[in-house]
Amino acid sequence: MTALTTSLKQVFGFDHFRTGQEETLRDLDSGQDVLAVLPTGAGKTLIYQLYGYRHSGCVLIVSPLLSLMNDQVDRMHMAGFRRVAAINSLTGRDERQAILRHLGDYQFLFMSPEMLSQPTMLSQLRQLTLSLLVIDEAHCIVQWGPDFRPEYLLLGAIREKLGMPRTLMLTATAGKTTRQEIAHQLRCHPQVVATSVDRPNIFLDVEDVGDGTEKQARLAELVAKLPGPGIVYFSSKQLASDMALWLQSQTGKVVAAYHAGLDNEARFKIQQQYMAGQLDLICATSAFGMGVDKNDVRYVIHYHLPADMESYAQEIGRAGRDGEPSLAVLLYASGDEQLPLMLGQANRPTAVTVHDYYAHPEAFDVADPGVHLLEFYRNHGISEAAVVRLFTRRERERNRALAQMLSYVREPHCLRQNWLQAFDEQGSHHEHCCAPKQVALDLAALNLPETAVATAAEPEIAWRDQLRQLF
Amino acid sequence: MEAADLIQVLTPQQTRRLRVIENLLRGKKTVSTLYWGQRYQLLPLIGLDKSLDRGGLDAAARSLVTGGLATLDEENDQLRLTPTGVIAAQRTYYQPQTADTWIQLDLMAARQRLLLAVQVVSEYTHATRRYYPLATDLATRQAVRAWFQREKSDRLGQQILQALTHALEQLPETVATVTTSLLTGYQHPGLTREQVAQRQQRTAWEVTLMQLDGLMQICQDARVDQTPFTSLLSSLWQSPVTRSAQLTLEAVRQTGDLDQVATQRRIKLSTVREHLLEAAIFLPLVDFPYEQILTPKLCQLFAKNLTGAIDDWQYTSLPADLQARYDFFYFRLYAIWIEKGGVLSDGVNNES
Ligand SMILES: [Zn+2]
Ligand SMILES: [Zn+2]
Repeated sequence: MTALTTSLKQVFGFDHFRTGQEETLRDLDSGQDVLAVLPTGAGKTLIYQLYGYRHSGCVLIVSPLLSLMNDQVDRMHMAGFRRVAAINSLTGRDERQAILRHLGDYQFLFMSPEMLSQPTMLSQLRQLTLSLLVIDEAHCIVQWGPDFRPEYLLLGAIREKLGMPRTLMLTATAGKTTRQEIAHQLRCHPQVVATSVDRPNIFLDVEDVGDGTEKQARLAELVAKLPGPGIVYFSSKQLASDMALWLQSQTGKVVAAYHAGLDNEARFKIQQQYMAGQLDLICATSAFGMGVDKNDVRYVIHYHLPADMESYAQEIGRAGRDGEPSLAVLLYASGDEQLPLMLGQANRPTAVTVHDYYAHPEAFDVADPGVHLLEFYRNHGISEAAVVRLFTRRERERNRALAQMLSYVREPHCLRQNWLQAFDEQGSHHEHCCAPKQVALDLAALNLPETAVATAAEPEIAWRDQLRQLF
Repeated sequence: MEAADLIQVLTPQQTRRLRVIENLLRGKKTVSTLYWGQRYQLLPLIGLDKSLDRGGLDAAARSLVTGGLATLDEENDQLRLTPTGVIAAQRTYYQPQTADTWIQLDLMAARQRLLLAVQVVSEYTHATRRYYPLATDLATRQAVRAWFQREKSDRLGQQILQALTHALEQLPETVATVTTSLLTGYQHPGLTREQVAQRQQRTAWEVTLMQLDGLMQICQDARVDQTPFTSLLSSLWQSPVTRSAQLTLEAVRQTGDLDQVATQRRIKLSTVREHLLEAAIFLPLVDFPYEQILTPKLCQLFAKNLTGAIDDWQYTSLPADLQARYDFFYFRLYAIWIEKGGVLSDGVNNES
């Protein structure tokens, strides 16, 4: 077989692999399943693209985010891969039929877990020769599984039905527990390829603010002072929208909101504006980030407590991909942990509800998301006892993750050490490292590079001139 | 649609059903929705917001009621403007100029095609190899790809520029500005509707209405004259009456007997009736064979029993023997006929 580096040169024109790529490909070539824990921007997609190029058959990629999936297909088209298609709930009926008629022609198929778990789809896929099954964003098995994407829990069974194809699990962040859980759910014993999650150029800061009012004021102050493009994460769509308007009026910077409530067109435009440097700041929910190709993000601020260290690592990891000094701030007001706790409890049906549901499923309204979830489990033959166990386990996991997040917030000495420990890594405190909550943030000492700011007062170009610029 | 937009489609004279407005926007073309859409003169709204959720206008309606601008009946459905609401609705609000023609083509598909075509040609003109194309459905992508292969030339960019400029010059400056700033192309991601709304101090829905006017003008130009867009849009012009309803109508014209048409077309009698009502709602008076279905005698019977405003007519308050002999269908068709200006043979029109 051709040397890996030769293929790399042929397909992508690169001379060298990035960290983790070659090792993953070698393990796959030698017949191993692989769990690759590589940071965003490490070139995870190149791995399965190159694998697909070197092996006959179809690479089936399971991806949880619809927008990301279509984006990926477009990118592959641009990169010269022609036989690529995606099937998900956004795919129209005619389009789906057209793809299914030529299923055997595709080299790369992207599919949502929902589509994949449909029996008719599965039986069609079983006719294909799969060279590789890719589980993208594999941490969703753990993070989202029982609460939001029950289909991810079926992936183990689906993998078996597909004849245990060689499997590549990809994720940007996964601590030890998450890695074990992914392997357990997918019923395999993968080789783990991981690089350090540490991002030395990101300065870590936790700030204890008294209450909501103080938090809001501090946010405005930070946004006004910090240079360059930034992202502020919120846990609600409404707050992201409201704060975008408020911050724009307070700071004069150009701010936009981004969340799952926007239509496709708006999300597309906001992302493109941000990448083109036309926005100073995005006020986002966790829906923002994957698929955003921007190297000069200078800061990421969390207005609410993230659900776990993995989400946090992934979200702050969007800062400073250019290697320049960058900043991650977590604003914490005491009691903030109540919100994720409450959300968790609201999502989780109690043992009594589970019992009642299994006794009288017809008496429940499937429009309720909790009931919808129970219906899903029941339809897939999962027993009442197993469901209760699942929820209990999930809650334990959630509480553990939250406790870990709080230990980061309360860390008195070194935030980086605390962060790395969550991923079973070691680290040591250094000069441009961190400011735990008792330590004041010295912005000037960070040496954040200045980036030209987008100006809100930009005069509007007359429409005729604007049209002329387009053509 | 927010409260500020919903208020614009309400009146103090006529109660309007929230569910009908919602269904129109969502593109649910049941005969009842179409009938009331016609009564409210809101048919141009059909299918303009297919992503609207069921109950998606409830919050806007409630806020109008809370603000004392409208009243809502116990079923949370019948809306009517209050005198305060009439004053509030008088603020400057954009009134689309081309709305009457919107149902003549698949406007939403035309919108998708035009936006993608503009992007593709703009990037082509600047020789961009790699860019992120707007996310659209397969049909749009295929249509635009095929069109681009046919029309591709060094002059295409200039021709498109000319076509766009010519169309937008016919509209108010604001509409031209709004339509342009929503376009995506080379080094120009385009603004979102919310961003444009903020700049123009208007609602996002008004921005949508302006954009539809702008795009409709481009479509109309392409229909009247040969522009680069002509072949891109030609397949989207359509009668608002569905194909199957047209076939039913044709068969009725020939035989005049609804039962026979049902047998011949292998559809239920009730479907024949739905098709006919749909056609009657969309077609002008002279294009529908009312006289073949509504006999003069039946019209006189209805005229005697149905007085007052059309919206207040109740099928169930007709004499029992009339109800027994004539299905709801005849009652509804008669109302459409009267509304479109149908006149009894003795010259009496009973609309008050
Ligand atoms: Zn084929
Ligand atoms: Zn430190």
